[in-house]
Amino acid sequence: MRCDVVIIGGGLAGLTAALELQRAGRRCVVVAGGMSLHETPRAAFIAAGGVFLRGDFVKRGEWKGSRLLRVWTRNLGSEPIEAKDFILATGRFFSKGLASTMDEIYEPIFGCDVRYDKDRSAWVNTDFFGPQPFEEFGVETDGCGHAMIHGVAAENLYAAGEILCDRKDIEQSALAVCRNII
Amino acid sequence: MKEYDVLIIGGGITGVGIARDCAMRGLRTILVERQDLTNGATGRNHGLLHSGARYAVADPDSAAECIKENRILRRIAANCVEPTGGLFVTLPGDDVGYAGTLMKACHRAGIDAKEIDPAEAIRLEPALNKSAVGAIKVPDASIDPFRLATANAVDARLHGATILTYHEVVQLLRENGSIVGARLRQLDSGEMVTVRAAVTVNAAGVWGQKIAGMADVPLTLLPSKGSLLIFGHRVAKMTLNRCRKPASADILVPGDVVSVLGTTSSKVSIEECDNIRVTSAEVDELLQEGCALAPILAQTRVLRAYAGVRPLYSASNDPTGRSVSRGITIIDHELSDGLHGFITATGGKLTTYRLMAEQVSDMVCQKLKIRRRCRTADKPLPGSEKDFFPAEGNLSRKAAAMRHGTRSSQMDFDSKSEVLCGCEHVTRAEIAYAVKNLDVHNLVELRRRTRVGMGTCQGSFCMGKVATALAEELGRPEDADRLVAQYVQERWKGIAPVCWGESLREAEYMRKLYRK
Amino acid sequence: MQEHNISENNFEQCLKCTICNSVCPMMAANPSYPGPKQAGPDGERYRIKDPRFFDLTLKYCLNCKRCEVACPSGVKVGDIIQIARLKYARQNHPLRDMALASTDLAGTLACKAAPGINGLVNSKPVRNILNAVGIDQRRAIPEYASETFVQWYEAHREEQAAYDRQLNYFHGCYANYNCPQLAKDLVAVMNACGYGVKLLEGERCCGVALISNGFGKQARKQARANIAAFDASEGPILTTSSTCTFTIRDEYSQVLGLDMHGNSERIEMAVKWLYSAVDQGTVKLAFKDGFKARMAYHTACHMSKLGWAVYSIGLLRMIPGLDLVVLDQECCGMAGTFGFKKENYNLSQKIGSKLFGSISTVAPDAVVTDCETCKWQIEQGTGLETLNPISVLARAIDVEKTKKLNNA
Repeated sequence: MRCDVVIIGGGLAGLTAALELQRAGRRCVVVAGGMSLHETPRAAFIAAGGVFLRGDFVKRGEWKGSRLLRVWTRNLGSEPIEAKDFILATGRFFSKGLASTMDEIYEPIFGCDVRYDKDRSAWVNTDFFGPQPFEEFGVETDGCGHAMIHGVAAENLYAAGEILCDRKDIEQSALAVCRNII
Repeated sequence: MKEYDVLIIGGGITGVGIARDCAMRGLRTILVERQDLTNGATGRNHGLLHSGARYAVADPDSAAECIKENRILRRIAANCVEPTGGLFVTLPGDDVGYAGTLMKACHRAGIDAKEIDPAEAIRLEPALNKSAVGAIKVPDASIDPFRLATANAVDARLHGATILTYHEVVQLLRENGSIVGARLRQLDSGEMVTVRAAVTVNAAGVWGQKIAGMADVPLTLLPSKGSLLIFGHRVAKMTLNRCRKPASADILVPGDVVSVLGTTSSKVSIEECDNIRVTSAEVDELLQEGCALAPILAQTRVLRAYAGVRPLYSASNDPTGRSVSRGITIIDHELSDGLHGFITATGGKLTTYRLMAEQVSDMVCQKLKIRRRCRTADKPLPGSEKDFFPAEGNLSRKAAAMRHGTRSSQMDFDSKSEVLCGCEHVTRAEIAYAVKNLDVHNLVELRRRTRVGMGTCQGSFCMGKVATALAEELGRPEDADRLVAQYVQERWKGIAPVCWGESLREAEYMRKLYRK
Repeated sequence: MQEHNISENNFEQCLKCTICNSVCPMMAANPSYPGPKQAGPDGERYRIKDPRFFDLTLKYCLNCKRCEVACPSGVKVGDIIQIARLKYARQNHPLRDMALASTDLAGTLACKAAPGINGLVNSKPVRNILNAVGIDQRRAIPEYASETFVQWYEAHREEQAAYDRQLNYFHGCYANYNCPQLAKDLVAVMNACGYGVKLLEGERCCGVALISNGFGKQARKQARANIAAFDASEGPILTTSSTCTFTIRDEYSQVLGLDMHGNSERIEMAVKWLYSAVDQGTVKLAFKDGFKARMAYHTACHMSKLGWAVYSIGLLRMIPGLDLVVLDQECCGMAGTFGFKKENYNLSQKIGSKLFGSISTVAPDAVVTDCETCKWQIEQGTGLETLNPISVLARAIDVEKTKKLNNA
């Protein structure tokens, strides 16, 4: 399967980006998890000719240097999706955009750099109603929305939405990425 | 103002056990508790009904007491006890000689211990570490301390006792070298109440030192903190013990639909007792040892961590703790300090609470010159009169029967069938019953009596709905938000130390729902 | 120490977000069904403590897997329920259920008596007997073919073997006993693309009805026979039924606990194989100029679970004369043998009513779907011809032009 942009994650950030890009003439494929809540942008995206793969997850990608060539998903099996650009908008812990073990917080698909506190006891504020450090952790990007991997900005993998560190505005980050792609 | 025969200070298992015993003997009984029942060590232990094997080597008298009480509780508290059986397991690297020592000690104490082949042990308990080199089968069991305490309180009331929660003792009344009662302050209103009683029993657990201080008698307790972990489901169906000299984290107990792993041991000060937290280091230690016993724990979700404080008594009032005892300790202050009408009950284990209550009640009767026999071992606790598990009916009816035994037949399932806590299948009917009969004023107490919020979501799903229902049942619908805020903080305390993996995902979800 | 806190018991990953409940078609229609969250992870935690906690209302689960598709935590809610049913449920109508679930036997006997049996089955006395046994009076009984696909294939075996390139075909019961035309369409399309079609040695019914009716032992027996058939073959194994495909690829290992010997990857729906081949340029398709139709595509629940509707839709969109409307995903309510049973018929129609309404709004000439029981339900519920995408393709392609393009 081939397209211009693969958007990984069908939440608000993913759909905002997908709709913007599809309307600008890019052929987009959204690999969305199961939840699929934002009906209006999703319907608009499909009506604009976008491909929406519901209940699917990207498992891994193939790189050439810092350029992502193609990705494989759980449902499509051995057949990868090739694209020019990729947007990672998989959300936070609840939607498994970020994952954690006892010692580490990481991004499970590509291993993007995650900013977090190495001391586990600093992840949570014991006052439930106070600010929670773990809500600030997230994937690092350079000034143009490129995801950082081992300190190097990926050429064509962007990150947008809740997955980012420091609680950036979801829709704004998605639109900024679109501007960089177009 | 009413006059009582006996005033019991402390609503843990000891206090309610004494209240039941005294009330059954016809004494005019009142129990006062500063917070909710089981707020202390009773609500924060393993839930293990010891066979006594764990103490057989170092403390054979305690062990002998344990096995006798174990048999009694299986009979009178059948609804609170699950006869899981237990294993003492020798792992590679453990002292292999200890098993033999343990066997001899068990037999001397009257504990039916049987050495079995490791292969047989693994067949009996598939979660056990496959590299176990030896195993001893013992009559350990799992016991629910909340149900046990609730049943004792219900029975005490049925026999005429008065139980006052949220009443703190601020002063003991003293007349002519005798303690004659206490002044209490109601926690919310600040209202002062005076209670007069011929005998006062200090059963306040680790706070007993403070109470003794009010009576001007020395009592040195060495509070020992123990931390435990709760896993998301029933990993092992038998209790698993490490067959070695008792150390940290050697016990894994099935508790209803979860598994409880514990425990650590560290000194804390009396002041710290009201605000103890589980540390990262304790969590790591518990997991390390626990995974040795049952390796599957490495892939099992940890729901929460909690800590309790053991009120260890230093026999010679030696603050260095060299002569620390875990056995039942009953001090007649008339004999030790010349103070009449005052008894302290401390030390002891959950397993032997009834025996301690019997001994205290005997002493109370002796002081009152009343001859009444203890009947607590003969009569089943309310709910445990007979085996009660409905053959048909939906899941929540069965779950309520599991929790409350025969008392669940009092619940109005027909008109209040809505399931409010999904993880534990608790209906509005069960909540209404708890409010009416079991002293429930908030979600924390509701949780202790019914398991609401003890499931894998730790209240994420149900808190809002349950709070609304509870507030309505209490006749204060405007209170729902406050109840949620209070409860979510309490749940958060237990989640924070184990906040990684699935539990971190749950925490994120909980924050989204309730952070406001 | 602790790995990723990924529980070995998958149900423990449930965060109680309750999204599964909100997508469950049974819960929406039937207040007696407690929903996937309770039937699945909540109930499982209690069943581990005591099997007496198994609840009879689990029989309402359609096994549509919509809960699994929606779950953000990856909990296999549907599997948990099915496994519990296999383990604890008692059979209430063993004779009727066994008859409904034994599709090979029913098919073999019925085809021998076809076409006469098709009329006979609709006669009053026979419907009364069926009704007494528990099959609803109102349910249209599928027709049986007088010649099975396998019988037809025997006469064409040599001709198929002559092709240089070969593909295996797991035909399933529907294409063998009820609608051999579908299987013949598959052969025609593949032949046009330059591929011969091979059948598997000793193919049995996939067993989906046996699983959902609680006949675990028989289901495993048939599954093992199929796995042996896969082992004895080489290359891709194509299918035309989304339900057979999902059952073999997912249920055999996850619900029946069988070892697939690595065969899962080889089993692909024909639409997936064909779409990929066209996309990569290894196969070319040419279509008839005069083919014009307006059709509505219905995503079967199991197709949604597989995530492969994109292939059917992609292929259909290649047909220039086809005005295709993709319907919103809704369960049709048939759920295999579920909709045949007297006690379920009304519920089945209630669940499907939203879909029928959507279809009538679109007003297509025909409906397209990859699942045969959806087809039966939609035909009965809307009166519209309902086709498999492969059959639509067979009607739309220009065979001669396609053969030339593929040097066939």
